[in-house]
Amino acid sequence: MALAVFFVAAAMAILGGIGVVAFHQPIRSVLSLVVVMLALSVIFLLLSAQFVFVVQIIVYAGAVMVLFLFVIALLGPARVLAHGRLRFQTWLSGLFVLVLLGLMWSLLQGVQYRQPEKGDLSFFGTVQSVAAGLFTTYLYPFELTSILLLVAAIGAIYLSRKRIDDI
Amino acid sequence: MSTLDIGGSQLGTSWFLLLSAILFVLGAIGVLVRRNPLVILISIELMLNAANLALVAFSRQLLNMEGQLFALMSMTVAAAEAVVGLAILVDIFRTRDAEDIDDLSELRG
Repeated sequence: MALAVFFVAAAMAILGGIGVVAFHQPIRSVLSLVVVMLALSVIFLLLSAQFVFVVQIIVYAGAVMVLFLFVIALLGPARVLAHGRLRFQTWLSGLFVLVLLGLMWSLLQGVQYRQPEKGDLSFFGTVQSVAAGLFTTYLYPFELTSILLLVAAIGAIYLSRKRIDDI
Repeated sequence: MSTLDIGGSQLGTSWFLLLSAILFVLGAIGVLVRRNPLVILISIELMLNAANLALVAFSRQLLNMEGQLFALMSMTVAAAEAVVGLAILVDIFRTRDAEDIDDLSELRG
């Protein structure tokens, strides 16, 4: 049963990823990315990462994707473009990407996993265990993250303000 | 070959890493081939998600919470990156049409 869930979610994620690249309208790319994120959240749940699952849905599929949708609605529909200036760009990137996938595939063939110590799966990945990590060992990076978000918010407000000379 | 116990059935960790690799490569194709700056940002988000999947899979394999914590951090950074990137795009689109990423080449020396 769990295997079927994994393979259905993986197929949805890959189809969504193909949709992100292949659709011509940006709004369809965004909706395909939402499909990818929901499928990935199911896989996170299979990997007993409950808190990451919830955050994936709320933050990514909820907030970030809605932001993308708003910007696309603001900017209006995209025109279909003529071909680009670099003549061999598509072929070169196809070659590069094939080499990249081959490299990762060959890495996966020989990978050796360290067997973990005995862990308690009923505690692993819960909100408590995430909080125990975030507020003890990684308190300093966690607080730095809040500064990063503050800087991003100020930067976004500054960039999207109404210019004085526009009025 | 290592297998994980997932809801009672056994599944190799490599399956998750393979899915992560495929999604990352799809995102890379999007960044390299597409010309719309918005779609390039979306493809970057796809690549970040693929990296998150690898982090969470390794975290489960090693039964170590640090992978999940790092995935949460990378989600935060991705949100900040999306906000700033979209603000820059809106600012550019306000002054002119930039449907093609190659039009934005003022920084070239």
